[in-house]
Amino acid sequence: MRNHLATVSLLAAALLSGSAQAADPGVTDTEILIGDVEPLTGPPALLGVAASIGHKIAIAEANNAGGINGRKIKYVLEDDGYVTARTIQGVKKVIEVDKVFAMLGISGSGQSIAVMPVLEKSGIPTVIDVAPVKLLWEPARKNVFVVGQSYEEGIIHLVNYLADKNPGKTWGLITQDDDYGITVRDGFDSVVKAKKLKVVYSGNYKKGQQDFSSDMLQLKESKADVFLAGGIIAENIAMMKELEKLNVKPVTGIFWPGRIEPVLKLMGPAGDGIYAVDYVEPFAGEAGKAFLEKAKPLVTEAEFKGINRYTMTGYAAAKVLLAAIERCGKAVTWACTISELEKTKNVETGVMAPISFGPGVRFSNQKLQIMQADAATLSFKPVQ
Amino acid sequence: MQYFVQLLISGLAIGAIYGLIAMGFAVIYKSTGLVNFAQGEMTMIVAYIAWTVSTTVSGNIFVVSLAAILAAVVLGLVIERVVMRPMLGEPVFATVMVTIGLAVILRSSINFIWDAYPHGLDVGVGRGIVRVGGIGVRTGQIAVITTLLLLLAAIWAFFRYSKTGVAMRAVAADDRTALLMGISATKVHALAWAASSVIAGIGGVFFALSYDLSPAMFQLGLKAFPATILGGLDAVIGSGVGGLLIGLTENLAGGYISSGMKEVAGFAMIIVVLMIRPFGLFGERDIERV
Repeated sequence: MRNHLATVSLLAAALLSGSAQAADPGVTDTEILIGDVEPLTGPPALLGVAASIGHKIAIAEANNAGGINGRKIKYVLEDDGYVTARTIQGVKKVIEVDKVFAMLGISGSGQSIAVMPVLEKSGIPTVIDVAPVKLLWEPARKNVFVVGQSYEEGIIHLVNYLADKNPGKTWGLITQDDDYGITVRDGFDSVVKAKKLKVVYSGNYKKGQQDFSSDMLQLKESKADVFLAGGIIAENIAMMKELEKLNVKPVTGIFWPGRIEPVLKLMGPAGDGIYAVDYVEPFAGEAGKAFLEKAKPLVTEAEFKGINRYTMTGYAAAKVLLAAIERCGKAVTWACTISELEKTKNVETGVMAPISFGPGVRFSNQKLQIMQADAATLSFKPVQ
Repeated sequence: MQYFVQLLISGLAIGAIYGLIAMGFAVIYKSTGLVNFAQGEMTMIVAYIAWTVSTTVSGNIFVVSLAAILAAVVLGLVIERVVMRPMLGEPVFATVMVTIGLAVILRSSINFIWDAYPHGLDVGVGRGIVRVGGIGVRTGQIAVITTLLLLLAAIWAFFRYSKTGVAMRAVAADDRTALLMGISATKVHALAWAASSVIAGIGGVFFALSYDLSPAMFQLGLKAFPATILGGLDAVIGSGVGGLLIGLTENLAGGYISSGMKEVAGFAMIIVVLMIRPFGLFGERDIERV
């Protein structure tokens, strides 16, 4: 009888340990697998490639320091081409086939939202860093953490700053006809209502539009003094060049998805003095320069050229995730990692304000800052 | 009035770019009976090659132009020989699907060969602004309108008077009879692909000069295709004019109605025109003997 009990106990123990291993894959004695799905092809590769470089920098930094408690970090990266169906497919693949331990990324805002049920169902520890939108942390999911600031808060901060700096002036706004544009417009409208701003031009362009001649001519005719350019990258460049052609230069604000340095080169003198809002440090500042110095030996020359603000967001998210895994010691599990992520308190990454989460708090709510473009040095400099 | 003239000029400038790419569509259709869904991507590749030459070899406009034309010829010939010629005699649906596949490959190649960042094509000219009576126009915009008009005249003369042009028209009308007359259909096809690549590539280079280069540039093909339909799928000159009309309509609708109408107006016009002339403004009516 005692022998039978012992056998049953051993079997139960074996089954339990087996199920624990099945629940927490991606960790061996020598390595930990981290998965990511990003747009690596097509126009949005600008953010996907840069974010993945940020992840690689943090991982290389950890591996060069001997790994996390002796385990090397291995990075599994999939391309979704910014197509939601492929994002879901990619996330399922890295979780179920590659059996990664945790996730970083993930692609754009729409893609992250779409993939949320997969992440939630799997229970895998995830830190999202590319496109922070409220639906990712409201309601809070146990295993999903978001580093950044909401688009809406960003716009509110920028419009408030420009409104305080330009009292009594007239306003113009143009947005894209998608969820991104709606968020920008919602943020703008809330400040317009609160501060009773006078809006004389309001345009809405179709995603993919490349010529803004009639839109900017309408803006000129409206005599708007302050202009919120709600394009992303190529759209803002086209708008600013069109305004230059029309010989008008309103005080202009852009949002962080388009706050990348090559944009200034393409805008030329037309981009000088435009305002931007962001929660990551500008590369022209001390923190930005220090980050580039750190990154240089850790990435290839081609990767170094691909660094932009999304590299910083990716780097910060990876640092937070790796720090949580490290605090778990040798016994790395999903439960421990999630618990440690929740305990994240004022983690310094050097590229943005310290990051904190908390019980039931899955959004880091980063501090925002206003920057201004300097066409002479092709850089953004903090003004606030 | 100043507002109207500014809209008119900007509309003609972007319309000229659509027109050039639309002519590329029509040249291939006229000679091979095929709609090339990779036209926008070919336009983009030629523009990227021009940018590479300008940043690595020389920024001189003549060097860049020559290199872009040569690259476009090679691109057109390679696609015709390697991808399209093996499809000769296959069902049209399969051939069209091949061009769609080609489009995806060319689109993805931008990230593999170059990168996802926007780039400006700087050849020392084309970016200056000419101001007359409060109206601003970039020199590149003036150049693209002029180029389109010159090309329209040249292509009209080519199809009307040159032996090769007449041969191309013969193949388009009846390739079997043309073959019996000693015309090589494969040579005509190769020439059509090369010419289409060059004409559309010129549009791409002008777009890069006036705006910028980015992996989203292939979308120009989506704007130019309606111009071809409007002008007539088999009408090369009509497609060029169709581009101008689409550019003008878009800009006037965007300027006088709303920004949102800009993208819709061109398509609305096509629907109306096709209801009246199903073969396009300048297309030839298909007559079948029954």
